[in-house]
Amino acid sequence: MSALKPQREIGWATWASVIIAALFVWSLMAIQFAPADMIQVPGQVARVLSFFYPADMAYGWDKVLPAIVESIQIAWVGTLVAAVLSLPLALFGASTLFPKLAHGVKFISATTRAFPEILLAIYFVPIVGLGPFAGALAIGISSVGMLTKLGAEVIESIDFGPIEAVEASGGSRIAALRYAVLPQVLPEIVAHWLFRFELNIRASAVLGVVGAGGVGGVLLNTLRYRHFDKAAAVLVLTIIVVLAIDMISGEIRRKIINS
Amino acid sequence: MSAVLPKKPAKNWPLILGAGGFLLLMTIWSGTGIGFSLSELVCNIASGSRLLQESWPPDFGFLPRLVGPFMETVNIAIIGTVVGGMLSIPIAVLAARNLTTGKIVWFADRNFMNILRTLPDLFWAMLFATAVGFGPVAGALALSVFTVAVISKLWSESLESIDMGLPEAVRAVGGSWLEMIRYGAIPQALQTYVSYALYAFELNVRASMVLGLVGAGGIGMILESQRANFEYERVTMIILFVLVAVLIIEQFSSYIRNKLA
Repeated sequence: MSALKPQREIGWATWASVIIAALFVWSLMAIQFAPADMIQVPGQVARVLSFFYPADMAYGWDKVLPAIVESIQIAWVGTLVAAVLSLPLALFGASTLFPKLAHGVKFISATTRAFPEILLAIYFVPIVGLGPFAGALAIGISSVGMLTKLGAEVIESIDFGPIEAVEASGGSRIAALRYAVLPQVLPEIVAHWLFRFELNIRASAVLGVVGAGGVGGVLLNTLRYRHFDKAAAVLVLTIIVVLAIDMISGEIRRKIINS
Repeated sequence: MSAVLPKKPAKNWPLILGAGGFLLLMTIWSGTGIGFSLSELVCNIASGSRLLQESWPPDFGFLPRLVGPFMETVNIAIIGTVVGGMLSIPIAVLAARNLTTGKIVWFADRNFMNILRTLPDLFWAMLFATAVGFGPVAGALALSVFTVAVISKLWSESLESIDMGLPEAVRAVGGSWLEMIRYGAIPQALQTYVSYALYAFELNVRASMVLGLVGAGGIGMILESQRANFEYERVTMIILFVLVAVLIIEQFSSYIRNKLA
């Protein structure tokens, strides 16, 4: 019977598993995770979680909701700043339109994408002061890279027929951009903007940690003073608002792409 | 001449005006809400340039002290990816419509996944730092949860698009549900799983750099202490270091991902 079994060979998956297991064990030892912690940690988490109930919703409506609204506003302004900056950059980054410029633009956008927005906020806070304005600038600048890259990819995939048509009938380069390129790419680019808005809501929620406004600072303070019922209100309201915005924004994105 | 021109397509004015008005109102409301002002930005560029002068050149003498915390950051990212990657396998399978064990399980798992996805990485870090104390263990736990949120949703979608012939064949020869998943479903989606896991690792490396801002270990802890003391030439050093490290790890990871694809 056993002769019928296919011969197993030691493939890349086995080697990869061994390497990953070794890295994992090394990491556990490096952060001094003792086997005893395995038993202790779930208990600690459960104990703290039990303090979260019931949530202090009065605090939620008074203090948390305005902070969440501020996070939404930060994300909106940040996304808008990024959208305005990235649209021309995306045009220059499209290798089919500007073969020489595209390389440089793409390199810069790749570098800025590696930057977590919270690190940018660390620089903007001293410049424009503590508060949501610094957060919006950080979100805006850090979103430019990704929107430029996605926008350039959309523009690279367009149909060149309309451009040739505009130029054949005597239109300038600018006219070709306005009447042949933009109408083709705008729906998809707007969909990317909305998607980035969804990501930026989450990003702006944590900016409060470095004093750049929004709901993150509220959560940090409630946890620091161990007001777990108030922290629970932050979590509940954040989850509800983010889910709602994701649903609405996702629906609009589907409508734009399908129309 | 004008008779030859084709008729312009009719525009849906109510929709355009409605959407445009909504965008404008939203922008004005947000802009005033956060105190957006170009003049403030322009006026403060002067103080900003003073800050930039203070933060340049970076303090290279500080570099040796960054290596240890950076390794801790990588360790946190590895643990988070491995633990989260393993946990997300059952969660993704049960959230795949074609493989799940039942409607109720599917519905509960799907919503659980969506709720996990709403909270940003640093929120998890703050929660775990409160629960188990400041340090890398909190960071590793936070990234585990974050990894589950990233991988399970993406992978459940690729599991839904597999060829169901294989799993049905396993069932037909008397295999159990687990055997169907193990031999019929997972091998088909293994490559996408690896690629999502690497993607999660990239996100985790980037996230683990800032976990320390809320006390969850890694290089962010040093960043937070130097920032609080306005040692901006050191802050710049840390951020440059982080940037280079993230870019190298991303290049490496996307090289492997491209090879797999």
